[in-house]
Amino acid sequence: MESIIFAVFNGVLYGMLLFLLASGLTLIFSMMGVLNFAHASFFMLGAYFAYQISEGLNFWAALFIAPVIVGLVGAGIERWGLRPVHRYGHVAELLFTFGVAYVIEELVQMIWGRVPVPYEIPELMSGALFTWQGFDYSIYRVFMLVVSVAIFVALFALLTYTRIGLIIRAAVSDPVHVATLGHDIPRIFMWTFGFGCALAGVAGVVGGNVLGTEPAMAIQLGPIVFVVIVIGGLGSLGGALVAALLIGIVTRLAIFYDYGLGSLFLSLGLEIDTAGLLRDFTRITTAQVAPVLPYLMLVLMLIFKPRGLFGTRDV
Amino acid sequence: MAVLKWVRAFGITLPIVLAAFSARGADTVKLGLIEPFSGPIAAVGRDTLEIFEFFANEVNQRGGVLGGRHIEIVPLDNAMNAEKTTQQLRKVIDDDIRFVSQGVGSNHALNIIKFLTRHNRRNPDQAILYLNHSAVTTSFTNELCSFWHFRFDANVDMKVAALVTQIGRDPSVSKLYMLNQNYAYGQAFQAAAQRLLAERAPEAELVGDELIVPFGKVLDFTPYIAKIKASGADTVLTGNWGPDLVRFVKAAAEANLDVAFYTIYAGIPSSVAGIGAKDGIATQLKQVTEMHENDALYDQQPAGLLDTYERWRQQTGKSLYSERMRWTIEYFAAALDKAGSDDPALVAAAMEGMEMEGPAGLMAMRAADHQIIFPMVISTMTEDVGRPFIYDGEDYGVAFATDGWIMSDAIELPTTCEMKRP
Repeated sequence: MESIIFAVFNGVLYGMLLFLLASGLTLIFSMMGVLNFAHASFFMLGAYFAYQISEGLNFWAALFIAPVIVGLVGAGIERWGLRPVHRYGHVAELLFTFGVAYVIEELVQMIWGRVPVPYEIPELMSGALFTWQGFDYSIYRVFMLVVSVAIFVALFALLTYTRIGLIIRAAVSDPVHVATLGHDIPRIFMWTFGFGCALAGVAGVVGGNVLGTEPAMAIQLGPIVFVVIVIGGLGSLGGALVAALLIGIVTRLAIFYDYGLGSLFLSLGLEIDTAGLLRDFTRITTAQVAPVLPYLMLVLMLIFKPRGLFGTRDV
Repeated sequence: MAVLKWVRAFGITLPIVLAAFSARGADTVKLGLIEPFSGPIAAVGRDTLEIFEFFANEVNQRGGVLGGRHIEIVPLDNAMNAEKTTQQLRKVIDDDIRFVSQGVGSNHALNIIKFLTRHNRRNPDQAILYLNHSAVTTSFTNELCSFWHFRFDANVDMKVAALVTQIGRDPSVSKLYMLNQNYAYGQAFQAAAQRLLAERAPEAELVGDELIVPFGKVLDFTPYIAKIKASGADTVLTGNWGPDLVRFVKAAAEANLDVAFYTIYAGIPSSVAGIGAKDGIATQLKQVTEMHENDALYDQQPAGLLDTYERWRQQTGKSLYSERMRWTIEYFAAALDKAGSDDPALVAAAMEGMEMEGPAGLMAMRAADHQIIFPMVISTMTEDVGRPFIYDGEDYGVAFATDGWIMSDAIELPTTCEMKRP
């Protein structure tokens, strides 16, 4: 029993990091309808800015300054890049953000070089906070969890209970009326986009030192972020949270309880030919396929419930 | 600093552009180098090109080959896309380049071997010779062996043999945990280790043997670290490279896991930069290479070679990771001279069985399968070194110190190659 709790706890830690990565993306999508392919690139920018700032100042300065810079870059890109493209429809927007991802990757390589930069966990938080099952949890792991939860609560409150949230939500469903009430819709969208990018920036600051800060990080993280928001339901903040936790916990359980697929089928009462064609298949273990499970969940979700867990929009 | 990197970026790009447009003088022997020069892992390709150009230039300064002709390196970008490698081979044929080299990525190497075996059979008058400097899949010198392929790096099985031999000597190893990437290379590592551990390190108990989804798909190694902790292992043996190695080691260091890491690729620049000094020392990170800058034998090299090494460090601001790329060029030059011709078939014949003085004794290009055999060295990351690791002029404050040499007789493994000679 305790080992299940241990696996679930690890899953929550990992799931909240995934949520942090996906929160900005789902915000931008739900508010603007723009599927931002460059989202992971803003995450990468956050990590690189954090590295640069923590070299000069310290981690805490980076935690506050880097997301602001990323947000301003994002807002700038929305204002002078995305907005002119907007009238050509969603495909044009999608292609534009796709291009932005390439440009950011090349710029990062030009400025910071092509090998990883040594962005480290701050010394103060690298010590162990507690030990469970002989495993040291650093203060930083828990700090990541706290930041992710804080972001979720703040976002949820902002969108649900504040005037700004009210205007943003109204602007999505009924832009014409909101505009006639005197609100500057394009400006709202610009800052929403910037804010979403800033969230990616926060994830970069907090996750860059754990995942490694290098030019390929955006490409590696891009797909999993999309899996989170599609399973959760496009545009649903709560859905993204549930999906991220689900992915985290399922993959952790698959790694800890390392069953062969063959024995798994046997326990389900299915007889499988273990010598013939399926031999290689039955030799695979759940731990080996764990990182692929989210994508399997994505496929199943698209087949049986294309709107995702809490989505209100079709994919 | 940033400005400097800009300048360097152009400094590296410019020769590529210039080389591509330079007049094709009839008096050069062209060696096409097919590597990723663009995309996210372009760093590896560009580093390779820099080494090749540097040491080709050394040969040219000495008087060149075949009585005064120069070796010209022709960079061909594959952007780490196997299909583009094949496209570049077509360009090699169109431009009448008769020698190619490649090493980053065994899937590309496999494309080249298959392509050239077919091409050379159909066009014996325009045969092309492939010098493989780093692609390590063992089957290239076993069942897939080809007369037109020569390998200048130890294959996976040989590298594992070296690591396992050292593990057998290391009294601190009692419980061993293996973790590898689940594709051809990682599976080959796993199979070789399972086979050789029983023979060479019978004292070491294998308490875990795991395969993971490769190429950066695993973001968080924490659950694997927890499993290693639970298994009571004191040593990890892994063939992982790239982010799969960097994240693995960093996660172990973060959880204060008290184990030593035996690896193949800990010393490549992107690994050292990604892992960093603190985590590398905490995990007693070890690598297997053909040479490293802080070995006693390094300083015993002939004076001329030491000068060359020093000039490399000064000129490029980088530690020399790959001695084998220098050997590729030296073997190429020696075989051209021995053949007295730039006919690939004659050069290949000259290269078979060719011996050369290496840092730790004689190296030999085995004629039976075209696999080079040389002693290898295991080394551990430490702060206490004479020549710290540098990359792009940046000093990382650490490097590797020798644990022990594994001589050729312990590394040389039998081959199943049945070589078809033209």
